[in-house]
Amino acid sequence: MLKIDKLTKYYGKIKGIENLSLELNEGEIFGFIGPNGAGKSTTIKCIMNLINKNSGDIYIDGKINSKDDLELKEIIGYLPSEISLYDDMTVKQILDYNAQFYKKDTSFKRKELVTKFQLDESKKIEQLSLGNLKKLGIVLALVHDPKLIILDEPTSGLDPIMQDVFYNILKEEREKGNTIFYSTHILSEIKKICDRVGIIKDGNLIKVETLKEMKNNNLVIVTIKSRKIANIKTELKLKILEENEEEIKILYNDDINKLIKLLECYNLEKLLIEELSIEDMFIHYYK
Amino acid sequence: MLKREMQVNLKSFIVWTSILIIIFALVFAIYPSIMDNENIAMMEEFMNLFPEEIIKMFNMDISSLSSAYGWFKTEGLIFILLIIGVYAATLGSNILLKEESDKTIEYLASKPIRRNEIITSKILCGLFYISLMIILLFLFNFIGLSLIEDFDIKSFILLSLSPFLIALPIFFICMFISTFFNKTKKTFGIAIGLVFISYFFMILSNLNENTEVFKYFSLYTLADSREIILNNRIPIINVLIFFIIIIVFVLGIYHKYNRKELV
Repeated sequence: MLKIDKLTKYYGKIKGIENLSLELNEGEIFGFIGPNGAGKSTTIKCIMNLINKNSGDIYIDGKINSKDDLELKEIIGYLPSEISLYDDMTVKQILDYNAQFYKKDTSFKRKELVTKFQLDESKKIEQLSLGNLKKLGIVLALVHDPKLIILDEPTSGLDPIMQDVFYNILKEEREKGNTIFYSTHILSEIKKICDRVGIIKDGNLIKVETLKEMKNNNLVIVTIKSRKIANIKTELKLKILEENEEEIKILYNDDINKLIKLLECYNLEKLLIEELSIEDMFIHYYK
Repeated sequence: MLKREMQVNLKSFIVWTSILIIIFALVFAIYPSIMDNENIAMMEEFMNLFPEEIIKMFNMDISSLSSAYGWFKTEGLIFILLIIGVYAATLGSNILLKEESDKTIEYLASKPIRRNEIITSKILCGLFYISLMIILLFLFNFIGLSLIEDFDIKSFILLSLSPFLIALPIFFICMFISTFFNKTKKTFGIAIGLVFISYFFMILSNLNENTEVFKYFSLYTLADSREIILNNRIPIINVLIFFIIIIVFVLGIYHKYNRKELV
């Protein structure tokens, strides 16, 4: 549904993203995660043709993504991270205005979304709280039933109840076969709704995996306490996460039995083997 | 989209047009009562105290304040040219850039609409309001003057339409300049500066032969009111330059905006 091929964007001499390639399948929720400044919004703005890429190609529904291709624009729904709308309009007016841009009738979906998000159509946009503005932004992104939904930090400002409503709507969209590109830095969201996840760091995509693959990649944290800790460090050449006088914490992704065998001769006081949480995994990638 | 644009810019159009209409309404209301022979003689005596350059600046060497139409040709026209010029400059610098400055462009650009359509609706809106302002003022002044006195209709029509020659180039130049920026507050000063520097150069060029060269750097030269008052005509070269400026800058706006990074 969405294919990005070697996408590169520099802001002058500063790297935004470099050689970023990824492919989203139909009917999946793809989590795009990375710390602030990693290049998430740059990628999205390139997809939306808001900024000019230096090189690379973007394909949507098999077609080159051109900024004036109205057929493609009809099938994309976009929610920016900080939504700004026309303050002088009411919610009803902007929904009416928005409907004029689309060929298809959006009235049924509009009614459904407005009800689910409990939006008051008579309110002026300038009177809306951050959460309500976000809800309106989501309605505007989804109301035309897009095949590709691009969401940039969609839940900031939403209360937990509305977040659940939103997650359920996204799951319904997935069931219909629509594809969702979900950019966030909130790990719990990834765990809740994403099928696959791409991790971006310093403008480069460093990993794309399903959540299941992530959990099954044998990464463990091992805590070792011994009086011979200095010997263990020098002789075994382990990847140390934390250390103090007699204890080290290491990241290990090989056969754990092999490690236990190697440690047999060091007279251990403590050996703790823990499975890596998703949070730990992300921190591991970011570091 | 055009309808929305018209609504957004209606308020400022009403304010700017009202300012001009009120000025002219006041003048037309009081002129007949104050302009008796004694006052006219006094005023002409007073004007003789000013240097020749100042007299020329207000077209008073070729017109007189002794009638309402005389006032229109001198001070009245200056009000019209300056106020419509400032309106066109603020409208041009703001109309396209406002979407980026207010960050609503992220919403608008994601909709099934071409960038060219965005530009076109903004241009049409600007053209409509600038034209309507000039036409309304023309009608108001025509009625006002007709009620007071007889006047030369041909020169009145030419003088009343001459603001087109400066307002539209100012509008398109300011709109083009705005495509280089992302915030309206940066372009506002440039736009106002363009109007007043242009007007100042026009005044300078009228002072004497040494400063005449400044007319080539002033958009106000296009609305050559002295030529209209003296010879009842707008030089064809001015009209030609007017169209060239518009074509060049309209093409520039479309070209630049289609390549612009919008956030």
